[in-house]
Order: sequence, then C-alpha cells, then structure tokens
Amino acid sequence: MTTTQWIGARAPRREDPALIRGRGRYVADINLPGTLHMAILRSPYGHARINSIDASEARAADGVHMVITPDDIPDHVTEFPVIWRLPGQKDSGTPALAQGKVRYVGEPVAAVVAESRYLAEDALDGIDVDYEPLDAVTDCEAALEEGATVINEDWGDNVAIHHVFAGYNALGVCGYEPEVFDNADEIVRGRLTIGRHSGIPLETRGIVADWDEIHGRLTVHSESQVASLFRTELAASLGLPETAVRVLTPNMGGGFGNKWDRYPEDLLVSIASMELGKPVKWIGDRREGLMATVHGRAQVQEWEMALQSDGTILGLRGKVINDLGAHLHSVGIGPAWVTGAAAPNQYKITNYYCDVIAAATNKTPSSTFRGFGGPEGIFGAERMMDKAAKHLGMDPAELRRMNMIQPDEFPWFNAAGAVYDSGNFPACLDKALEAADYDRLRAEQAELREQGICRGIGIASYIHVSGFGPSPILGYLSYYTGGYEGSTVKVDPNGKATVYTGMIPMGQGTETTLAQVAAHHLGIDMDDVRVVWGDTDQTPYTGFGSAGSRSNVAAVAVIRAIDEIKAKAVRIGAGMLEADAEDLEYADGMVSVKGAEEMRSVSLAQVAQQAYWAHALPEGDQPFLEATYVYDPPNFTTASGCHLVVLDVDINTGKITFRNYVVVDDCGPVINPLLVEGQIHGGVAQALGGALLEEFVYDEDGQLLTTSFMDYLLPSFTDVPEMEIHHVVTPSPHTDGGFKGMGEAGTFPPGAAVANAVSDALSHLGVEADELPITPSRLWGLIQEATG
Amino acid sequence: MKPAAFEYHAPESVDDAAGLLSSHEDAKVLAGGQSLVPMMSFRLARPARIVDINGIADLDYIRYEGGALQIGATARQTAVEDSSEVAAQAPLLVAATGHVGHRAIRNRGTLAGSVAHNDPASEYPAVLMALGASVTAVSSAGSRVLSVEDLVSGHFLSTALGPDELITEVSVPAQSGGHGFAEFARRHGDFAVAGAAAVVTMNGTGVASASITAFGGTSPARLDEAEAALVGSDGGSEAVAEAAASATAQFPSTDDIHGSADYRRALIDVLTRQALQQAIAQAQEV
Repeated sequence: MTTTQWIGARAPRREDPALIRGRGRYVADINLPGTLHMAILRSPYGHARINSIDASEARAADGVHMVITPDDIPDHVTEFPVIWRLPGQKDSGTPALAQGKVRYVGEPVAAVVAESRYLAEDALDGIDVDYEPLDAVTDCEAALEEGATVINEDWGDNVAIHHVFAGYNALGVCGYEPEVFDNADEIVRGRLTIGRHSGIPLETRGIVADWDEIHGRLTVHSESQVASLFRTELAASLGLPETAVRVLTPNMGGGFGNKWDRYPEDLLVSIASMELGKPVKWIGDRREGLMATVHGRAQVQEWEMALQSDGTILGLRGKVINDLGAHLHSVGIGPAWVTGAAAPNQYKITNYYCDVIAAATNKTPSSTFRGFGGPEGIFGAERMMDKAAKHLGMDPAELRRMNMIQPDEFPWFNAAGAVYDSGNFPACLDKALEAADYDRLRAEQAELREQGICRGIGIASYIHVSGFGPSPILGYLSYYTGGYEGSTVKVDPNGKATVYTGMIPMGQGTETTLAQVAAHHLGIDMDDVRVVWGDTDQTPYTGFGSAGSRSNVAAVAVIRAIDEIKAKAVRIGAGMLEADAEDLEYADGMVSVKGAEEMRSVSLAQVAQQAYWAHALPEGDQPFLEATYVYDPPNFTTASGCHLVVLDVDINTGKITFRNYVVVDDCGPVINPLLVEGQIHGGVAQALGGALLEEFVYDEDGQLLTTSFMDYLLPSFTDVPEMEIHHVVTPSPHTDGGFKGMGEAGTFPPGAAVANAVSDALSHLGVEADELPITPSRLWGLIQEATG
Repeated sequence: MKPAAFEYHAPESVDDAAGLLSSHEDAKVLAGGQSLVPMMSFRLARPARIVDINGIADLDYIRYEGGALQIGATARQTAVEDSSEVAAQAPLLVAATGHVGHRAIRNRGTLAGSVAHNDPASEYPAVLMALGASVTAVSSAGSRVLSVEDLVSGHFLSTALGPDELITEVSVPAQSGGHGFAEFARRHGDFAVAGAAAVVTMNGTGVASASITAFGGTSPARLDEAEAALVGSDGGSEAVAEAAASATAQFPSTDDIHGSADYRRALIDVLTRQALQQAIAQAQEV
C-alpha cells in the first residue's frame, strides 16, 4: 500500500507473520542459562485451616534447591495491594502464600524450586500439610446470611462492600424517587444469574525472574498487561527501589484482563531468584490457569423496572450481588461497581437505585475480565427491557427506541454518574433491524412456530464507557493509579520513526494500530514506523493499559507527540527553505511553502538530517527530532451499538442453533476495519462462551469441578455463528481523531441478546432464560418446568 | 502438569509385551495415549511402568477376512475412518468414528485403546457392542476371545481384562442390516452427553432383528428391552417410539456437570428414536 492516509486502511497486522509461523516468543520460550523451575502446591480444599506444614522431605528431594512455605517468605515481603479501594471496601490483598488457612481450591500453599519442572512437581508430594477442613461458603447469597461462615475473619462478615448508587444528580437530572415505584402503571421484575467464567488466554500465565546480585537488579519476564504498574507493585512488595526492577514483556497469547492483575507466583519466583541468585521460571499449566487465575462475571441480580403503560420507563432499581471469591484481588470490587454504573445503558433512566454487594465465597478470586462489569450491567438492562416489552405486549425494538437517549442529548449524565460523550443509539438499532430484515423475521417466526420450530429473535443494545480514564476521576473513585498514556516518538536522521509505548500488546494489533496512526500523522509509509513496547527500561510509564484505551488514549499520545515533531520540523524547514515558519505547512511527510508545494519543499528526512547535524538549528531548538507526550483524557469515550441474534431452540434437547448474528458497532472513526472486525469476532465469541458454554462449577464443599477443557467448555469455530458487522460512526467530540475504545465492546451484548432470543423462541411456553450459561441441560429443565 | 516418573518399555513383539505385563505390577499399555497421557500429566494415573506397543509392527492392520473385519491394536482411528473395507463391511463404525474427538486426536488414538479405556461417554464400546464385535486378549498364559459386551458392559473406566492382558485385535463381523447412530455433545468433538447406536434388519413383515446400545450413562449398555419392543413390530413410528421409551427406561443414566440424569434420559429418548429411524430406513432400502 502506498498511501499516507493510513487511518481507516485495512492494513494487515504486522504482528502476524512471526506469530503464525511460530516465530513469536512467549515467556515459556525464555530459557536463561541455569534456570530453575518452580511448581506450586495448591490447596485441595475450598476452606481449611492449615495446622502445620512439614516440607522436610521435599527439601531433601532430588534436584530441589528451595522450598517456600509461609515461614520461608522474608519478613519485608508484603502482599500485593488492591488498587481500587472504594470507600467502605474491606481491605485484603494478594499474599504470596495462604496465611494460616486456605480459602479456595488452587490457593498457593507452598512452592518448590528444582532443576526441572518434573522434579519440582515430584517434590510437591514431599510437603505434608495438615489441613483441618472448614465449612465452605459457595453461594454468594448464603454468604450474606446471618451466621454464615466468615471467610476473612478480620472482615467480621463476608461483605467486601455494600455500595449504593442512589440519587446521583450532579446536574439535577437524575435521582432516586422510591414513590415512583409505588405509583407506576407497571412494575416488571426479574432475577438474573450470570455464571462464573473468565477470559481464557491461549497462553497461560507464566513468569521468569532473574536476580542480578552484582548490579542489584531484578529482571522479570512477564506477561503483565500493565508492565509499568506491575514494576511499581512488584518493587514495593519486594522492598526494592523501583529502579532495581525491569519488566520485559515478550509476545502475549491473550490477556483478557486477567493478566492485568498481580498474582502470588509473581512474588514467589522473585523471592526464589533473589534467594538463589539464579533465574527462576514458573509456567502455569492449564489446570492452574483455570483454578488460580482470576475468574469473573459471577453475579445474581434482582431488578424492578417501573413503566408507564405506554412503555415510558419511569425508573430502574435493583440489587447486584457479586460472587467475589475468596478475597479482593487487584481491582477490588471494581467490576461490580461498573455493573451498577452501566445498567442504565442507553435509556433515559433518571430514577435509579442499585445496591451493589460483593460477597466473599470459597472460590477463586473474581477480578478483571474483558468488559469489567459492563457486560453484566448490559445483561441486566437488556433482559429487563425484553421482560418489560413482553409484559406490555410491545415489540422489544420499539420499547428500546422510545426510551433511548437521543443524538442531541449528549453529553448525557447517566443516573449512576457516568458521562456519555456521544452516540446515535436509535441509528444503531435501526441498522441492526434493517440488516436482519426484522419485519420479515417476525413474519417467518410466526410461520415457523406453526410448524413447531421455535425461532427466537434477540436484541441487545449497549454502551461501553471506554478509554479509562481521566486520572482525576480515577482519583475521585479511589482508583490508585493514573489513567494517562504516554508516548515518545523519535524520528531518526533518515526520516524514519520509532514509537515508544507503555501499552502491552495482547493480541489486539496494538503495534499495527499505533504504527498506522503515526504513519498517518507523519505522512510517511507504515513500514517506516517501528513500534517499541515491552521493556520498562525504554518505554513510557503507563498506569492503566486496558479498558479499550489503545485507540482513544495511547493513539492520542502518539498524535500529540507527532504534533510537536511537526511543529519543530516546520521551524527547521523554515531555515532550510529561507521562509517564515508561518508560511509553511507540514503535509504528506514534507515541509512546504503554502501554495508553492512543488517548488519549495523539504522532506521529513531532509529536516531530520538537519536536526541531527544541528549545524543551523532555530534559536531555542535542541538537536534531535523527537517528542514525548503524556495524554490524560478529559473524559471517557462512549462506544455503543446493537446486536441482533436469530436462533432456533430444539425443545426436546435444549440445543440452540444460530441462524443469524448481526453486529452494529459505533466506536467512532475506525482506524483499521480489519482489526476492529477481529476484535468484534473475538469479543462476541468469548461472550457466547459465557452465554452458552463456559462455567466454573463448584460443589458444596468448594471443590472446583471444571479444571480441564473437557469440563470447562470454550467455544470453538463450530460454536460461533458467522457475524454480519455494520458500523455507525459518531466521533467522540473530545479525542483527537474522535476514536473510541472498542476492544471489549463485542463482549457486552451477546449474553443478553442470546437470552432474549431464547426467551423469545419459547415465549409461547413462558420460558424465561434468566441464568447464564444457558446450557442444553439447564434449558431443557426450564422447558420441562414450563410444560409440566 | 508433568507425569510422575515411570519406567518405559518398548517391546517389539506381543509376547514381549505380554511378558512385561505379567512380570510387572502396575504396568499400563500405551497405544495412542489420548486418554492415558493426559491422565498421567494430571497425575490422576501414576503407573510405575509403561508398555508402549507402538513398536510392535504387526499390530497395525485392518483387514477383512472370514466375514469379519480384523482391526489390530495399533490401527489408528483415522485408519478406521478412511478404510474402504470398514466402510463396506461395518459402515456404522465409520459413522461413529467422525464423532470421536477431532481428526488430530484420531490420528493418534486407536480403536482398541478406546475400548480398553472404556470411558462410558465414548462411542466405540457401545458401537462395537451393537455390531457384535469381539476382542482378542493376550497374556503370557495364552489368548482368549471376549465379546465387547462382556468386556465393557457394567464397567466404568475399566474392563473385564486382567492386569496382565492386552487387546491385540478387535474383530467386527460384517454388519448385516441398516444402521443408525446419533449422539448429543456440548460441542463438536466432545465426549457425548448421551448417544445411541442401532443395527436393524427387516423382513417382509417388519423388524427381524435389532441391536440397540447406548452410551453416556454409567457404562455402555445394551438396551435389550428396546430390542424386544422393536423386533416383530412394523418398524413404524409408534413402534420406534415404544422402543425409545424402553431404551429410556433401561438406560443407566447418570448426573454430571453436563447434564442431569433426567436430561440424559430425555436425550436417550430422542437419540434412540433418531438412530432407529435411520437404521430402519436404511434396512428398508437394502
């Protein structure tokens, strides 16, 4: 491609040639000389007191260099803290090893470092732990009952937080008026359950720590999604100055949020490497990945929607109980808070109340997962919309349309305090209906039902508040990190550019996207832009690095740094062209005299050469042609859209067969349609997993029953329908380029869309699919109940 | 996920393999390894010795002789799937093979290994039962022939084989009549939640013989009550429904995270019906 109009181009991913030929390099591929290997002894109990640990046999075992029990952890090592500490939230971090008792199956109890992973796993048998089993709490509602076994004794109960969204009316438009619910024409109620599942990266977690005793430096090869913050936290927990820690990130085989968090193994390998003076490696196996990487999504929701008989929504109130797991992880109860903030969705709901309660249970901690509570909020909102439509006998599309925030009503302050910057919700809905030929679908549905075929149509609209985030707002929310992204752009003496970013690519094509944005704004070829990432010694600090912040935050930092470079290029070019800087412009990689571009211009390479020779720089300018910009967004960006799914339900087996899947997405101007479509495909597939297949199942003792891919079922290509993708483009008014985050959006509506479609397919039986995942067995059970 | 230490033996003859099994306790036969190796990696299985039979050259064959298919112990499932002899003589076996894991798994997995492992949710034990297949089991004391039914039924993740015996061959009589196969799995390639296989012959008045088996319960099962209900009937939809009802009643259903026992029974009703309809339609064409 020879163009300088890179934004909007379907540029192929520059990451792919290496990755698809097996030439990527992941943490598991890093084999430093003398590396020792760690294996972790994990709790076999959901809840048990540890009376004693005798590791003497393991310490004496073949090839074993070190055994770490709680007594072996140096006193100065502290647990990883919770980053998001909302007022009233209990405090508990992530320790390296279980302290006195185990609280979930898979919790690290001890670690062995040996010459091979085989020997390390063998030696685990030589650690004798005397457990005293305790009653396990496996139901998040039972956890809240009086007299329930308390998991974290210092909390006093199992309530990690009870946060209330009510009466937020910063602009005087929203509030909570309970009497509205007493007097409304119609009240629609729903109780919804979302199963516990998680992002499952193809690459499991892993880490190599390499302590250099001579220089006093710890180099860590990790797949943290947020390497800078990881460096800060690891240094703090190990009692090292931050300058003593370097984090290198190789290729990452998926993150999905769960690699944003800090984990016990990060401390354990570091402790071992510092003690032994050798590189220590731990690569999580799949079983560990499923039991000891954070879970997500698990919630029970109860909602009440008040409506006028014409369908106008008067208010929404409810309760969200988050099945938190054993303790607060890196982001605390953050996802549940976001659920409460997202549930008003696209609608003019100004009367809103939501109790958000996070309940500790004897399960793997629940934390960051693509969408971060948003998909759960959309599930609640969109199931309730369909229930309301059914109750009122209205078309679900029509009920949505009449309650939507209109395009001229932005910025919109939603009733939970979130600010929507822009959108055109009715246009997204209409486009989805048109693409699916909605009226014809309804007619067909009626005909098919006559023939005994249960076809359902499910609509789910969504907002995705992306681009975390303005740092002062993070401060206001007690989120202890910054929301900015920084970028350094350097133009070398030949006019080629290098972009340094603190962003960690996890598979979204970050490198491609940033190269595209830089090439576009510098007016040079994409191949002339290199992107450097994955080394905290070289790249700018980033505090967040997630929540769809690549295009709308990191890219803006690149654009702003390039603006500074272009201004300097014009100043240098003025001397070269013997013209006034005001008469010059920068375009297509050239500095030219306005109106005489053909005659009087110099290229970026020529300017760069001058910048490095520095023979005749403008007064006040330093040599080099580079700039750093740290962009802290003034607001979030609101991506939005609508999904429409058509499916058939076999009432004899509970089997669901997709017939059509339409996505309408508004992420503002699209930088690279190829990547956006890929993110949508992946997001929808992942959410369909949570809607139909994926669930971490625990028994009543807190035993995890789904510890392999035979039982924890991921969608594969045979389970994911073809998707028809359309775009509505509403630029964000406040980001350069108008970009909005989109990496997570695909995960927001599928759960609701599928549940709505299943309920629609079985409306004649009165079946309501209110529990995800909708497994065939579960759905068959609902059909049996309905048909008696 | 690394297996515990084990001793590895690679005998070059069946006699050597049988000798190793009889002289060592706690030895396991390795053929395709598609179940054993993951179990060892999880350390759910910790055999002290592995007897790898892949080096025994004369166990990798599929041939048709004496009215039966003879399938050697190391013949891969893909070989069964692709064999024109199998397609001609026991098409039910080919139909079922497409449901065994994925092609990559079938490239390593063996028919005999699947039967010896006898996972109650796997296709082969039930299908071979429906076909009236038998196995040759060899030990250092000699060899014996057992019907697959005697080998697997009533067993869960085990068989009637002694610890010193290995299966060297599966013998499948040429299928006479039409066949049907139906299973329900959560995803393509998964172990079935439930499934049914049938072989039916018809005469001038109706169903002359029926062999009906099911899987996905506590153990692969012959559903002789369904067979009795069907034989002698006209093979019409009422008879099929009656047979399916008998199958459902007799099926040794079970609960797990993929489905309740009631749900599995409901599936058996649907799947038996589908399998019988296919089998009867095919038998009528013959």
